[in-house]
Amino acid sequence: MAKLTLIGGGAMARAVARILVSSGVDVHVYARDTTRVEEVDGIVVHEEMGPAVEGANLVFLAVPADNLLEAAEQYGEFARGDHVVLTATRGVTDRFMLPHEMIRAMTCVRKIGYLGGPIHARELATGRQINLVLASRFGEVIDAIRGLTKGTPIALHKSSDVVGVEVAGAIANVGSIASGLAAALDLGDTARGVLLTHGLVDATRLGVALGATASTFSGLAGVGELIPRNVTSMDRHVDLGRRIAEGEALADALVRVDGHVEGVKTAEEAVKAAERLGLELLLVPAVHEILHGRADPRVALEAVLHRSLDLDNAVAR
Amino acid sequence: MRAEDQTKILDALEQRVTATRSGRAAPMSEVLEDSLYFERRRLKEDRGKSPAFKKDTAFWDRVANELRGASDAQQRRLTERAVRHYGEEIAGNFDDRVYQVVTRAMPPALGLLLNAVSPIKLAKRLPDLPSIDDAIVVQGEVEQLRKLHEKGTVVLVPTHVSNLDSIVAGYALYRMGLPPFLYGAGLNLFTNPLLSFFMHNLGAYTVDRKKQDPLYKDALKAYAQLTLEHGYDNIFFPGGTRSRSGAIEKRLKLGLAGCGLQAYIENLKANKSRPDIFVVPCTLSFELVLEAETLIDDFLKEVGKARYIIDDDEFTKPSRLYEFMTQLVNLDSKIHVTISRAVDAFGNDVDDEGVSLDPCGRSVDTSRYVLTRDGPASVADRDQEYTREVGERIVEAFLRDNVVECTHVTAYAIFSLLRERNPRMNVLRVIRTGGEDEDLALADVYRRAQALSDKLFTMSEERRIRVGPSVKRNAEDTVSDGLKHFSIYHTRPAAKRRGDRVVPSDRTLLLYYQNRLEGYGLDALGGAASLSPDHRALAAR
Repeated sequence: MAKLTLIGGGAMARAVARILVSSGVDVHVYARDTTRVEEVDGIVVHEEMGPAVEGANLVFLAVPADNLLEAAEQYGEFARGDHVVLTATRGVTDRFMLPHEMIRAMTCVRKIGYLGGPIHARELATGRQINLVLASRFGEVIDAIRGLTKGTPIALHKSSDVVGVEVAGAIANVGSIASGLAAALDLGDTARGVLLTHGLVDATRLGVALGATASTFSGLAGVGELIPRNVTSMDRHVDLGRRIAEGEALADALVRVDGHVEGVKTAEEAVKAAERLGLELLLVPAVHEILHGRADPRVALEAVLHRSLDLDNAVAR
Repeated sequence: MRAEDQTKILDALEQRVTATRSGRAAPMSEVLEDSLYFERRRLKEDRGKSPAFKKDTAFWDRVANELRGASDAQQRRLTERAVRHYGEEIAGNFDDRVYQVVTRAMPPALGLLLNAVSPIKLAKRLPDLPSIDDAIVVQGEVEQLRKLHEKGTVVLVPTHVSNLDSIVAGYALYRMGLPPFLYGAGLNLFTNPLLSFFMHNLGAYTVDRKKQDPLYKDALKAYAQLTLEHGYDNIFFPGGTRSRSGAIEKRLKLGLAGCGLQAYIENLKANKSRPDIFVVPCTLSFELVLEAETLIDDFLKEVGKARYIIDDDEFTKPSRLYEFMTQLVNLDSKIHVTISRAVDAFGNDVDDEGVSLDPCGRSVDTSRYVLTRDGPASVADRDQEYTREVGERIVEAFLRDNVVECTHVTAYAIFSLLRERNPRMNVLRVIRTGGEDEDLALADVYRRAQALSDKLFTMSEERRIRVGPSVKRNAEDTVSDGLKHFSIYHTRPAAKRRGDRVVPSDRTLLLYYQNRLEGYGLDALGGAASLSPDHRALAAR
């Protein structure tokens, strides 16, 4: 039987554990704070990482971007070349380091799979069909996850563009902040749509400069994620945008929003990365300035709305 | 190579290549018909020029005859013979006794080796034969290389700008006290009997780029892999061919490098006591490049579709080779051979004991990377991915250990000024016309060179490049030395000084030498990442 170890005790980890354990996977969880892991029948909860990872074929690093480097470093002690390692972290760390790069920088593992697309922890628990993009450069990773999710409500869509799917996921958070801002400012649905498209263009430009394939951004990991995310508006990033537009300071808003708002750090790092790479982004820098109180939300977003989307030159502006 | 290993390798080659072929969907007769087609076409074009023409023609005629009405078993046997035929040509005759003699008398023999290009013409000049010994500086991770040679099998992967490279690399290995490594050398270099004799006995096996037959390519790859499995260290030039532009190669041909991983997997399967394969990048840096003129011409003529096989360049002109060697000595010019840190067959760092390390310095059990349900095994897409990573690590090492010389700085300064002064001309026009002005002020060249070398020194402190001794803190000295080098060897100097002016007389050569600084983002300050994104994480550390 396959053994999967979840590292992290967040909502995402809990939801995944529940689905997999019901399909017969030997699921183990390691979390620093085990009190947050609810009791689910059949799941083995560990207080130390070593025994949790021992003998595992798959390891899921289900932690937010802020903690991924640290978790990966700790896991690196027990990592082995045959492990398949998954993450679904939406965000980056310093120098726009992407999730798979964080894992690479701290461990010996190569067989990394990144889960992107329209996944939300709350949806995972509903039992409806769940659509995931699984990005990996290793066929073995795709096969392993296919085997694991067979017979579950999870529908896998594979991609080999790890960078693209990760950048799309990270920048989508920034787009959601803009969407929340626009909603609170009552700029209208069209403007919201245009801003989201701007976010996608920014993501494409940045992604391609980092080696991604442009078409990834028009697929499930790009457009395919934006639509449900902003239709359901249960996203915490949208919530943050609303609060900022209503005049809350970033620090206060971050306290009040439920969960990690990775888009704030992502926006900051994306602005710096674009500078290094000589790329012009439009929406991301505007959101970054707004978040830090250096630009008036309405003025800054309207300035973006007045700029041409220039879709023909999405790759090189 | 020991004679008994040679036989073992050829036997295994026959079996392995044939077995892989029979494992595929196409019947054996098709494999042989392809071979016949490609070989007959090659022989037709060859028109009796190559020494093996008669032998090859007779061989393939026999194959054609026997193929008619051959049973499956007979077809298989014929395929084995075809592989053997290729294998024997590839392996050549390596004679251990000759090798002992040659290496013991290495420094003079190397002069002779160079002389061998045309023994009669050069024989009279023998007394004042230039000594290559002083001209070659071996630096970098020499100790690690020596140790790893004991711990496993080494694949040395050098940059490639000149046909002298394999000789220089071979000589550097000798100086480090290592036995010769095997390497594939173009068949065209074996036409001279004396040179061929030396090359074979210094570890060369032949690569015939004119042979298009897929079976030949399989045999060549399998041969290299088998020598690795038998513990013979190899030199692979991952650029595939000499860099035409003069730039550090960034697109590597990893077919041969992939052999290292496959050899490792085979070693694991066979439970060998020293299964490890170490990949050691190596940069060869010249102040002047023997074949610069031909190479850059080829680059400009056929950007995108290089001739690939050049058999009429400076290397085959004895007088040019002699002149080059003499100038090298007269100018006190150095060839830097820099050995980089080794990586394993997966691109991990390796310590001096041959232990693979993760990015945090923890030891890694690499056999786990190739573990499948049935034990260690090859998996095509997985292995390709590992090899791609090795390729990235090689390119990083090339850039990091590339030694910048006075000629590169001088050419870069002049060429960038030319481009700046002629903003409306594209690069090809600048090269053709030389731009609107006939010459440049020497003071401007000094200033540009100073800014550049300041930057280069900073980069070298950050271990992003190496600065050779010919590049001085004071750029005036560097430029003077660079111009002196240009004036002495090439038919037309790349640039020459006239009073307080500099005349860019051969812009193609300037382009060639300045290209060595490509890939560092020097023109766009802060520049674009030259590494592929997958590896940025490691590079940033």
